[in-house]
Amino acid sequence: MSHPGLRGLTKSRSAAVASDTSTASVAPVESQRIPRQEDAGSLHGGTPISPRGVFRLSTSRPSVIGVPVIETHDLTKAFGEVSAVDHVSFTVDRGTVVGFLGPNGAGKTTTLRMLLGLITPTEGRATINGRLYRELGSPLHVVGAVLEASGAYPGRTARNHLRIQATVGEVPRSRVDEVLDLVELTEAADRRVGQFSLGMRQRLGLATALLCEPEILILDEPANGLDPEGVHWLRELLRQLATEGRTVLVSSHILAEVAQTVDSVVILDRGRLISHSTLDDLTAGAQLAVRVRTPNPEELVTTLAAHDATTELIGPDQLRITGATSEQIGTLAAEHAIPIFEATTEAPDLEDIFLQLTATEQGHGKR
Amino acid sequence: MTRLIHAEMLKLITIRLTYGLLATAAALTALFAALEGSRAGSAGSGVAPISTASGLSTVTTVTGFAMLFAAVLGAIVTSGEFRHGSATLTYQAAPRRGQVLVAKVIISAGAGLLFGLVAGVIATGVGLAFASGDGGHLALGATTLIRHIAGAMCGAAALGALGAGLGSLLRSQLGTVIGIFVWAIVIESLIGGLFTSIRPYLPYTAATTLAGVKLGNAAFGPAHGEAVAAAPLPFIATLALLAALAAAVSVLAARTTVERDIA
Repeated sequence: MSHPGLRGLTKSRSAAVASDTSTASVAPVESQRIPRQEDAGSLHGGTPISPRGVFRLSTSRPSVIGVPVIETHDLTKAFGEVSAVDHVSFTVDRGTVVGFLGPNGAGKTTTLRMLLGLITPTEGRATINGRLYRELGSPLHVVGAVLEASGAYPGRTARNHLRIQATVGEVPRSRVDEVLDLVELTEAADRRVGQFSLGMRQRLGLATALLCEPEILILDEPANGLDPEGVHWLRELLRQLATEGRTVLVSSHILAEVAQTVDSVVILDRGRLISHSTLDDLTAGAQLAVRVRTPNPEELVTTLAAHDATTELIGPDQLRITGATSEQIGTLAAEHAIPIFEATTEAPDLEDIFLQLTATEQGHGKR
Repeated sequence: MTRLIHAEMLKLITIRLTYGLLATAAALTALFAALEGSRAGSAGSGVAPISTASGLSTVTTVTGFAMLFAAVLGAIVTSGEFRHGSATLTYQAAPRRGQVLVAKVIISAGAGLLFGLVAGVIATGVGLAFASGDGGHLALGATTLIRHIAGAMCGAAALGALGAGLGSLLRSQLGTVIGIFVWAIVIESLIGGLFTSIRPYLPYTAATTLAGVKLGNAAFGPAHGEAVAAAPLPFIATLALLAALAAAVSVLAARTTVERDIA
């Protein structure tokens, strides 16, 4: 059940695309992926991203959306009286990259562990390809997961750690060298994991997850411990995985870490699902503000107030206006002969939106 | 199951702890066998001359350390997964946790065989060396010596499996290891000393009798050198007792702690 885009390196995914698109109609609207810039690029490319050629781009990002491969239904977990996850339902479609977001203690890790059969839900169900994790025939070939930095025994070398996983997953030992190369740990392969930095352990965790070429990746805070260069590397890797048509569920408490990579986001807060949408939908709901520079700010404020727009004086000749578009503001200003020297629509701040959605009471417990 | 056993074997042979425990068990066996050999026949030592069957077997059956260390290794094989967080990966790879436990018990028993073999060969070698230095008379035949080595292997294998079950049941590596030593050295000696009739059924004592140790003449502890009236169980019965105990602890673990959340 290995992933066609990985083992063969250059294999076409057309067969998989053809079979999967037949059921696309079942996809919920909010979980359909939006095209990304790199998708367009890949249509003309087919150029290997990895300099070592371990992973290569297929000629296009497969459009196998619409088939849910990860599903949670009323998923609930209580630890004693603490409700860590509270009736969370969402789906992740095949071939999409979904950000799983929420502040620390939102219940992300607990949810992911329930998906992987490590924690038993109090209520509800979490399935992968329609089955409970423990019912998957060869789980490592279906799902690769990084839940904590590597999870390897500290006294064992990275290579031996991967050899063991390769044995369980029944993949050839040559694959160990491939993934070590992919995560740039070849030189450290024979060092004990206990000597690794947190970033190196994260890379080893990713190597472990990718070892059996799974079609689905579940990554819990993979950027933790990575330096800026490592975060950039991770972003490129996620893009590469996405381009190969893999389904990725990546958790983070920082939206910016995943914003450039994901198709949609699932946002949890205090154990509850508070949003499941594309980034466009997320920002569409945000009120855009327009910054205007005018020599007559008082007159413009009076004029806009009559049209229910909200204004804020942010400088001697500058206003920040919400509730009206730049076109509406320009038209009104022209009608009232108010000069406008400059009008700029502010880009929606994803972090602000995220923080608004996950505004939490201070001091709630970690989940 | 084969791949799980293979993976567990790889886990065992790719860490230094395994070799450290084996080396320690071998060194302690050599040391105490040499001590017993040097005391053999001395007045007040309680050890018969090396030229006698009793004296020679006192030296050649000093294999209790290997059995204890096999139990410790078995405990680490299971509980170590929780100490280092690697249980997450193990159960991701093999979500049917009962199968993982079976593989670990099997591989711990296998490691126990090796521990018993090494200790048995060392103790026998030391005993033969002392006998050779005392005129070369061997009071025990090859068959008996080989049976003692085989018994040491069986005893260490059984305790290795038992240790794996205990580690899985308790999940605490340190607690399980300390518990094994306290049980074998203190509790068994106390219980066995107070109630001699149940001494043949105590697991560590029973395992040592497989290797030819006389009942009440454990390698160390309060019962060391003590003569008791109770006779050890037959070899097969002792082995069956230990195997049943290891299986019972493993089944108990499988039905309780093994399925608990890995949070």
